[in-house]
Order: sequence, then structure tokens, then C-alpha cells
Amino acid sequence: MAVEIPKSLADLPTSTPRFIGKAVNRVEDPQLLTGRAEFIDNVTLSGMLHCAILRSPHAHARIKSIDVREAEKLPGVVAVVTGEDATRWSQRITTVPEKWGTYCLAADKVRYVGEPVAAVAASSRYVAEDALELINVDYEALPAVVNATTAAAPDSPLIFEEHGSNVMLQRVFTWGDVDAAFAAADQVFTEKFRWNRLGANPLETFGVISQWDTTDGNLTCHGSFQSQYHMGLGTAAALGLPSNKVRMISQPHGGSFGGKGGMRGTVITALLSRKADGRPVKWIEDRMEYLAGGAGQSWDRHYEASLACKKDGTVLGFRVKLLDDLGATAEGFGAVSAAKPLTAFTGCYAIPVAQYDLTIVATNKLPGSPYRGMGPPPHNFVLEQMMDIAARGLGMDPAQIRRKNYIPPEAFPYTIASGNEYDSGNYEAALDTVLKMANYQQLRAEQAQARQQGRLLGIGLVNTIEPGVFDWNAYAIVGMQQTGVPEGATVGIDILGKIVAKIGFSLEGQGQYTVITQVLADYFGVELEDVRVVYQDSLSAPPHFGPGGSRLGVAITGAVLGAAERVKEKLVTVAARLLQSDPQNVELRDGKVGIKGVPQASMPIAQVAGAMLARSDLLPPGMDPNPEATYVWTAPGRTPADEQGRAKSYLTAANACHLVLVEVDAETGQVQILKYYIADDCGTRLNPANVEGMTQGGVAQGVGAALLEEYVYNEDGQLLTSTFMDYLLPTINEVPMTEKVALCTPSPFTPLGAKGVGEGAMHTTPAAIMCAINDALVPLGVRALEVPASPHRLWKLLQGKAKS
Amino acid sequence: MPTSRRIRLTVNGKPHEVVVEPRTTLVDLLRGELALTGTHVGCEHGVCGACTILWNGKAVRSCIMLAVQADGADLMTVEGLAHDGQLHPIQQAFMEEHGLQCGFCTPGFLMSVYELLQRNPNPTDEEIKETLGGHICRCTGYQSIMKSVRLAAQKLKASSPPGPATGVS
Repeated sequence: MAVEIPKSLADLPTSTPRFIGKAVNRVEDPQLLTGRAEFIDNVTLSGMLHCAILRSPHAHARIKSIDVREAEKLPGVVAVVTGEDATRWSQRITTVPEKWGTYCLAADKVRYVGEPVAAVAASSRYVAEDALELINVDYEALPAVVNATTAAAPDSPLIFEEHGSNVMLQRVFTWGDVDAAFAAADQVFTEKFRWNRLGANPLETFGVISQWDTTDGNLTCHGSFQSQYHMGLGTAAALGLPSNKVRMISQPHGGSFGGKGGMRGTVITALLSRKADGRPVKWIEDRMEYLAGGAGQSWDRHYEASLACKKDGTVLGFRVKLLDDLGATAEGFGAVSAAKPLTAFTGCYAIPVAQYDLTIVATNKLPGSPYRGMGPPPHNFVLEQMMDIAARGLGMDPAQIRRKNYIPPEAFPYTIASGNEYDSGNYEAALDTVLKMANYQQLRAEQAQARQQGRLLGIGLVNTIEPGVFDWNAYAIVGMQQTGVPEGATVGIDILGKIVAKIGFSLEGQGQYTVITQVLADYFGVELEDVRVVYQDSLSAPPHFGPGGSRLGVAITGAVLGAAERVKEKLVTVAARLLQSDPQNVELRDGKVGIKGVPQASMPIAQVAGAMLARSDLLPPGMDPNPEATYVWTAPGRTPADEQGRAKSYLTAANACHLVLVEVDAETGQVQILKYYIADDCGTRLNPANVEGMTQGGVAQGVGAALLEEYVYNEDGQLLTSTFMDYLLPTINEVPMTEKVALCTPSPFTPLGAKGVGEGAMHTTPAAIMCAINDALVPLGVRALEVPASPHRLWKLLQGKAKS
Repeated sequence: MPTSRRIRLTVNGKPHEVVVEPRTTLVDLLRGELALTGTHVGCEHGVCGACTILWNGKAVRSCIMLAVQADGADLMTVEGLAHDGQLHPIQQAFMEEHGLQCGFCTPGFLMSVYELLQRNPNPTDEEIKETLGGHICRCTGYQSIMKSVRLAAQKLKASSPPGPATGVS
């Protein structure tokens, strides 16, 4: 039965929404503020054992033998597993691209430093770690392949011998007549860029408790799963279990940002539980394990890009060549990050043709994982530097070249060269807003003055798209097959009129429980306190994915509104009977169900729900007496990808324009952010405080990306940044307090006109800061082409300049 | 295995006597035997600040201290802030200013802010930044935390909050 999802606030059965669009206090907060949220490490099950994992000290080595006998003898140790158990009781972990995975414990050889080799379940973590020291592994070291270019060469040592090459994927995607566009150009600008590895680093690492009941074959896993549903499918596949035998229970988690993968830990603890006669086994990844062996490394990229331009600044075509170093395996699904740029390949610009020459290569480093933004942040860095390089080459202002090339507001919905469709937007309005906020002309004058004093002041001005509401079809080029990402919810009214929403994801930080509460309180005309959101596990909830790809705010709003519409239909049917009227004349409005236009002929929803559950004698014959309904929302109008990867994929295109003023210290190479302005358009804001928090949090991660964060491996494949003393996360001293203005171009395609907004600033901030740095360096004639622009890197650049 | 030690300590005003292995970290004692799981472990090497508690009134990182060091100490954890279902004004301020998202780092922030506002009820922005600079939040980008602390200072001045369970001996 088709359900009409309200497309705007005016479509709600409410005269004046009281909660949607307001920065209400979050329903999540009291339990988080008091330390009562049930994060995975707070969970203790009866008979629970603790796991510790032995990890490879080598980047590449053959395992000649493993001796666990001494470890097994240690008092308190209950089970020890190695690659032998993994090959006996499990399958290779699923990957994209396919067949680039291994078992959860290294079976024949190790492929990166930190790869799990053996694991122990014991009475405490302390004892489990003692036992690791008693395990003897005999390795035969192999040459480590750390450099992506070397790894792609035909004579490179092989990471997976069976493939005969380390190249996981190599293809050129051409969208339109790119050669003709470049031939027609007045000028072509070309540059190379390097984006170094960085990653999510949520403050809580991954954790899991697995209990494998070997008598009935059921596996139950509590964990900090970003998507319990998909972790359940992956775990079932790895263990050869029917999918309905695997039940995933997602605990609230302390952030994710894509980096909460835990497939190996989940499978390892399941194997230990099996060996320990079904006792629950807990594994909490420690920070050093996370940094070296977790889901925390992303985007190790070498770029070459070209922009074909006319003299007047019109961009005719865009070419990108990417060598993406995915690390040792494809188990982290990091390859999807190389595909996602297709969803906004040409940014805010009406660039008619483009080409993507993509090579994904394996090296002896940690497998890459998704991270907030999922690939476009480096891509946007490249595109936006190219726009600035072109502007300078053509003697234009950065604002001018962008304005010249924006997709105009009347062109939406607009299909970009790489196939995705943008729903709506007004990029020039965002640009003008930011220029005004920053007093741009004045800022340029200040910069000119500073330059005369020898100071390196720079302005970065960047406008990007945030593709929102992800779809699997966006990743078709690396092997994802599906179209559509269903998200379900069940909404019910109890016998006393209180409302419960049941959903399939737990707290992660974005405030979706609050959004659900706001939406339902307004829909049914009740108070926030009258709505409760209840979490359901992977086998109990309707089909779901949970947070990811800037989707959940939109998707869950669609799901709960769809379910509410279905409940409304039942209430109307029953109320019509009670009021002796025709259902067509009855409506829900402001919390009451009654005859249209006759305010006195109405009754509160509690009364109707109460009648349904307690007065069956009053119901229409055959009436379903449950004032509850389920709805599964999926984005409308999505299309499978064509052979060039083009698809209508991400449903929404939010956009943001950032302007940042930086100063580069010519003596030290240190970058200071002096001012930061943001105009942000994500359509209807369901909860402006949530949006503001997402934006500012993205700015912080963007600052980390541009200036601080980098995983460094030496030539032997040893990780040199294995603590927070070496891997630098931004603190309050590095993150600017930003000035923000909200614009609103509603989406015509989504519930209430909202757009996905969880990743926006991460798409924009690194590019904006790098543009600003390069603007500062213009008088010196050098370009900062490597991210992060650490003091050391910039200092070297400045020194080189001083010498030449 | 070295011999276990018996220690006495006060946590949130409640006396405890426990037997611990010398190598047990303080945070493991709090979260394990004392079941005070509000104190979180983020890095286990003293950088992120998530595990911050008060030790005789001073903010310390419980992940890089040993439980035996707490013999005779008066500790306060995040569980000592709210009373009888009433959030402490600092917690209330964080809620109103949206000073948290995932909430994992939050207990550590709260304890440092508590200490700051105890010794300095009128901190400048620079003083607030100096305190918060020892904590990593990966979600919020700090702007709302800054606002939360300013609001917390106002709230504490405006009302006399429920006294701390302990924290200063």
C-alpha cells in the first residue's frame, strides 16, 4: 500500500509544528552526561571471558609455525585460537573488490604490521595479555611493499600470490567527449597532489562480546556496530552460519565516523566462544590496536589532475588520475571511498565532461576503511586546488571563477557528468553570503597590506557538495551490486496514548533519537516526553542500515513518518466508526482525530488507541486492533549504475561555502587559522543544533586532515604513529570557532525537504584550508600539494624557496 | 604474580576497601570492581582525557595511575555529579548548549570543568581553553563545549548547586 510521506512541514497533521526545526534538548543526553549509557565496555555477561589478540610485528612474512602450548597452560586461560582454527571454522572475510580478503587470523602469512595472528580468552584482560607473551610464532620475513607505485609495478613482490599482481582494480571511466573538451581549451592546467593516510579515531574504539551457542548454533554479538545489520550479514558469511542464526545487538557507541569496523574482532571472539564451550568472550580494542590494526586508516592517495579552461574561466573538462593505496586487503570496504567521488565528481560546477583514471593497489599496510566523507574530501581538495590554480593562471579571483562555473539554481534537478543527480541548490547564494560575512574585499585589502610586511596571509574560498542519503549503487564500480538502502521503523500508540518508536540502530552521537522524538511529537500533537524511542536488535527491527553516508536523518524521518501515516489511517478508520462518520470525512489534526471542520466532534489519539486495544466491541468488523505500524523507507527514483558507473545514487546534494583566513609562519611553517566563515544549505533543518554540531565537528576533523593527522609507515612497513602522541588529533587550541549562517533550499525529493548533512564540513574544510595556505604562498611562487600541510612540510617548502 | 594489596579509598563520598593486584590501573578498579563505568577509557596512554577523575580535588587521568596509588585518596567520578535524578548544573549546561554528541569523552570533560569552576568560578575563554586543551573530543569541534562551560559558570554562580559528594578532602 502506497504511503504519502509528508514533503514539507505544511503536510504534517499539525497546525504549527512545535518541535521540528527547534534546537530542543537531546533525549540522548541525560544518560550520556551521567555516564550511564551502556557502551560495550560497560557490558558484563555471566561467565564472560576476556580476549587479547597477538598481532604481527612484520609487514610481510610467512608464518612457519605457531606454538600456543605454554599459553594454554597459563592459569585463567580458557581458549586459544590461531589461523588453524580460523581456516577450520570460518571463511575468508568478504571484501570489495572481491577475493582480496583473508581469514580473521593470519593463516599462511601476515600482510601488515598489526594483523591478528592468534587470540586468547581468559579470566581477565590482564591474564589474556600475559598469555600472548607465551605464544611463539616463527616468521620468515618477506620483502615489504610499502610504496604504492612500486606495488603496482609488474615485478613487485606479491601480497596475494594468487592474483599475480597487487593491482586490485584498474579502470578508466570517461563521461562525455573529454578529449574534445581538452582540445578546445584555451588553457589546460595540470598538477599532482598527495593525500596521506588518516582516519576516523572515534574516542571509543571497537568492542564486541560474542557468544556462540554450539548446541543450537545461535551466535549473539553485542558490540559497537555502526550497522548491526551489515555486520550480522558479514559475520554469518564468515562463519558459514544462516543469517537468521546471527543476532547483533548494537550498544550505544562513542562515535564512529565510518571507523567502527570490527569484522575480525567479531569473528575472532566468536571462534574463541566456540572453543570455550559457548561462554561469552569480550574484546575491547585498545587505542594502539586501533591505530595499527583497526578501522582507522583511510585515503592514501596519489593524484594527478587536469582542468581544461576557456580564457573567460569556463571549465570545459576535468581529468583525475588516482593511485589509491588501499593497504593489504580490501576487507575494510575502503575501496568504496574511491568510488564515492562519482556522486559529486565535478563539485558545484557545471563541468560537462570528466574522466577518472582509477587504480587501487594493495601494499603491506593496514587495510583502508571508510571515514567521514568516504572519499570526496581528498577529491574535493584536488578539484578546489585546481580551480584556484586555474583562477591564478587566468588572472581571476577565486570567487569569480567559481561564480562563473556554478550550476545555476534553475538547472535543478541537475545530472552531473559522472551520473548522479543533484536535487536542488543555490550555490551563488552561499558564496555571496560568505563573502558578505567575511567582508571579502576588506579581507583582501588586509592581505595585501600583510604581504607588504612580509607576512604570509591567505584566503581559502571553497564551495562543495555534500552528497547525502547514500546508496549502494554509487559504489558499483568497485563491486557493490544493490540499489536502495532500506531503513525501517515501527511506530505504535499504547493503551494510554503514549508513543513508542522502534528502530534498528543505537546511539552513535548524531542525535537521531531526538529527531525521531521531535517528528513524532509534532505528528501526533503530543509532548516530547510522550514519545520514547526503543532500540531493536538486528533480528527484531524491520530492515535497517543505521547511520552512514549522511543518510539517517532523512531516512529515519521517512521511516517514522511512513509508519505514523499508517497508524493515522487506522486511527481514522476507528474514529470514523466511533463518531458515526465516513473515514473520508475524518482527519488527524493537532493530536485529535475528528470530523473535518467540526472541532467538537473529535477525540484525542489516546482515546482512539484505547478503544482499539480495550473495546473490541466498538471496532469495525475485521479491524486490526493494533494502533501500531511499520514502514520501511528507501530513497525514491534510484537507478542501477551503467557500465561507466553512472547512477542516480545519493538522493540529496547539500552544499556549503567556507571561507578561511590563515597565516603561515614563514619561520616555522606553522599555520594559524585566523577566521572561519560558513554558509551552509542542507534544506529543512530538523534540529538546527544537530546540524551545527555536525558542521563544527566536521570542521575539526577537516583541520586535523589539513594540518595534523597522518599515519606514517617506514620503508619496512612499520607504523611510526602508533599513539596519540604521534598521530595528532585536533584539540580546542587548533580548531577555529566558526561563524555560520544557515540557508535553506529544501529537497524536493525527501521527507520534509531535509538533506543529509553529517559529513559536509569534512568535504569542505581540508580543501578550504589548503586553498588558503596556497593563497598565502603565492608571493613565494610555491605550492603546498601534500596533505597534511604540517609545519615540517611547509618549512621544507619555504626553505627550498629560500635556497633557490 | 606479585602479591595483591589491600587498599582503602573514598569514591564519591563512599568508603571502599578492596584487594588489588599492584599492576591494576586505577580506571580498571573503578570500572571493574567498583562498577563505576561512567569513567571511560579512550587511549590508555594519558592523551585523550576521557578517563579524567578528581583525586583529592585535582583532575587526573585514571588510565595512567595504578589503583594502589589511590590508597587513602578521596576520589570523585562522573557518577558523583548528579544527585537523585537531578543533573549537576555543569551537566545541565552541556545539555542545553549541545556540548556533547556521542558522549564518550564527556565524563572526562565534566570532571575537568568541575575542577576548573571550583577553583576559578569566573574563567576567561583563555583559561577555559587551557583546561579543555587536555581533552580530545572527536565529535563536537569544541565550539559547543566552550559555550557549555561559559553557561555552566553562570549557572553555578546563579544557584548554589547540590554540593559535591566529595572531591576535596
